[in-house]
Amino acid sequence: MTKSANVTLLEILDRVLDKGVVISGDMVISVADVDLIYLGLKVLLSSVETMEQLRGSPFAGPMQEAR
Amino acid sequence: MVEEKQLIYLYCVTDREPKLEQTEALHNGLYYVHREGLYAVAGKVKELEFGEEGLRRNMADFHWAKSKASAHEMIIERVMTDTDVIPFRFGTLFGTDDSLEGMLGQYGDEFKAILRRLANKQEWGLKIYCDPEKLKAGFLGGEERILKIEDEIKTSSVGKAYFLKKRKDALLERALNEKIDACSRESFELLKALSFEARINRLLPKEVTEREEDMVLNAAFLVGKAEANDFLATADTLKMHYENDGLVIDCTGPWPPYNFCGLSTTEGQNGQRNDKISKCDSFGNPGQGPG
Repeated sequence: MTKSANVTLLEILDRVLDKGVVISGDMVISVADVDLIYLGLKVLLSSVETMEQLRGSPFAGPMQEAR
Repeated sequence: MVEEKQLIYLYCVTDREPKLEQTEALHNGLYYVHREGLYAVAGKVKELEFGEEGLRRNMADFHWAKSKASAHEMIIERVMTDTDVIPFRFGTLFGTDDSLEGMLGQYGDEFKAILRRLANKQEWGLKIYCDPEKLKAGFLGGEERILKIEDEIKTSSVGKAYFLKKRKDALLERALNEKIDACSRESFELLKALSFEARINRLLPKEVTEREEDMVLNAAFLVGKAEANDFLATADTLKMHYENDGLVIDCTGPWPPYNFCGLSTTEGQNGQRNDKISKCDSFGNPGQGPG
């Protein structure tokens, strides 16, 4: 089990911001808004173009999460 | 004095009374809301900080996002030491305890079904990174077609050498993708055989991973606690087998089952997620291989 600080942060962000149960209902922020915010962080960290390119990478088959 | 408005931040749902004494340092006044055998672990947060406007502003601050995301994870991990949990996504907020309790009532049966399915299981993550130059250097000696073209280039005219070089690069690229694909397939299939469920997630760019190598596989596995040792031993074997070839295998866990707790009744993302899990029967699709 490797949990060096850097790896852990990446793993945490990859899960906490992108996975986990999403509930709509009497929430203050809608699911769509949470996604927008997540995208905001990604834009900060990388660029939308990079993400788009990766979606077209050799591994982006039907197994890849469609987003 | 005007009282500051607060929101309720939901971390996770469990079916055993959570022990929250250990979490004081992570979130002051963490508490739970109980309904029909389910416990929602939550904490009060400031509306100014987590309300729509505040959250939008704060998420642009990487340090804020980092520390809050880490706290989110650590709180769920603490609760997870005593019981199985359903982790919620960052920033799941409610206005009142009543609305949180109402949500528990609305989704109660489904949460219980998910918790039954997750009982005594853990999530493990597998990420594979590739250093293309190191990988190419490793297999080049075995690629006769490429070596032959290299020889030809040496004795060719400038024009012919140009086209031969292009052909060589294409062959090299294809061989590279084949190696990456073989390693990813082998790792994914071997580990999937030791898991209850497996899924493949999108790749993250270098700006996010902050690594020099490219991410070539990002997968998650739902592993029985009894099988965790076998799973780890297999991951270690794979890691050692590939580490000199420019392929870095990184296995982490145990994590709360973020990737394996999709609700079937909600539309949109969670619906898609369930769909993806059911499609995750084998690696890739024969019609869509690289190259």
